Amino acid sequence: MSRLAVALLAVALPLIAVAAPENYTIDPTHTYPHWEANHFGVSNWRGRFDKSAGKFTLDRAAKTASVEITVQTTSVSSGDSDKGSRPRSLDEHLRTPDFFNVAEYPTMTYKSTGVKFNGDDPGTIAGNLTLLGVTKPMVLRVENWKCQPHPFNKKEMCGGNASGSFKRSDFGMKFALPAVGDEIKLWIQIEAYKN
Amino acid sequence: MNDLLNHPAVQGGLAPFVAALIVALVLGRARLAGLALVAAFCTTVYLVGGFAFEPLSATRKIVLLALAAPVIGILVDFAFKPTRLGSAILALAAGAASLWVFWPILQQKDLRIALSMGGGSALFVAWLVGFSQDFLSRHPIRAGAAGLGLGIGVGISAVLGASALYGMYGISLAAAAGAFLLPQVLGGRKYEAGATFMLPLALTGGLLAAATLILAQLPWYSLPALALIPLAARLPAPEKSALWIQAVTVSACTLAVAAAAIALTWQSGSRLPA
Repeated sequence: MSRLAVALLAVALPLIAVAAPENYTIDPTHTYPHWEANHFGVSNWRGRFDKSAGKFTLDRAAKTASVEITVQTTSVSSGDSDKGSRPRSLDEHLRTPDFFNVAEYPTMTYKSTGVKFNGDDPGTIAGNLTLLGVTKPMVLRVENWKCQPHPFNKKEMCGGNASGSFKRSDFGMKFALPAVGDEIKLWIQIEAYKN
Repeated sequence: MNDLLNHPAVQGGLAPFVAALIVALVLGRARLAGLALVAAFCTTVYLVGGFAFEPLSATRKIVLLALAAPVIGILVDFAFKPTRLGSAILALAAGAASLWVFWPILQQKDLRIALSMGGGSALFVAWLVGFSQDFLSRHPIRAGAAGLGLGIGVGISAVLGASALYGMYGISLAAAAGAFLLPQVLGGRKYEAGATFMLPLALTGGLLAAATLILAQLPWYSLPALALIPLAARLPAPEKSALWIQAVTVSACTLAVAAAAIALTWQSGSRLPA
């Protein structure tokens, strides 16, 4: 009997090790949420948030995962940061209560509530976006997901591209509607190292 | 029609002016022409983003106080005799209201900055409310001229301080003051200003300027410049001449001070680091 138990344990141990959830910490120097908003129905403005942090857990055997990302809205960047002779730049305007109200709400967070796998990789993330003190559901689609050792430092890493969209009016960001579009598209390039 | 209502000049200027003019004309005889102020402000709030109070951000607290101020103003005008003590109590309450509005933001800041910003803003708002109530509320032409100067000063300074939203809210106060003055100068008959007009004007204008300082990029020294506007409305004016001459004279004084405050803000903007 005891031999059978030892034998079963010996067979099961590697499976338990594979099934263990793996924790990853997002690399803030390789993870940038980008945004896009229409301007006057003419062109699409694009910019990004320069500072973000977060973590995710991945269990490829059980096909479960969770993710949490915190974005510093203070770091919103449109490319127009130099006001020159103007009274303000676009970045300064984006930080005011007209848009991101960064003094009052310095962060935007995304927390997953469920992840659907596409094969062995995360495919669709359901979660909640919290912006300006309002929490609403938002779905992120994941593409190009890959886990591998870093080519140079050999640390285990995962990464991919996630995209989604939300209506800014749902979060109370109603200034300049509809001249500045309601729909905000998000693309997040993610790279993370295994803890 | 939607295109028209979505235009910032209509949202912040024309629509609030029309709303305020209607209220002033309809309620003038009932000593409630001062409600023109809140009518104008509410019109702009509604057109820009609508009314919402959840979550209760600083901007939404300002809107809430702007709605409460005329109710308190009517109570003050109809239930109490105007006294210096009453003005002092209103000033203290306004200063406390300022701290309530900005407390969650001040808590996130360094103690020294929080004390200077919070204390300075509370003093600024208390001064505007106290002085305006004590020295301007019984003089409708001077009250209207103060509104014109304060609205323009706060509104344009807010735009230069990076918030067009607060800019439109500020300009709506000026539009209301213009609509409050117009029937008086054209009809040659004074309306009652009282706390019904003066309290929402000074409280909302003060809080908007303070919000632009704390949440956007208004330099601190724009506040003392804006604080001089009610003083300018007290400068000697030809009291016995026609109302339109009085209105033009006092408005010229308040607008000159507003222009100086705007120039200060403009100058600071060009020096701010990118």
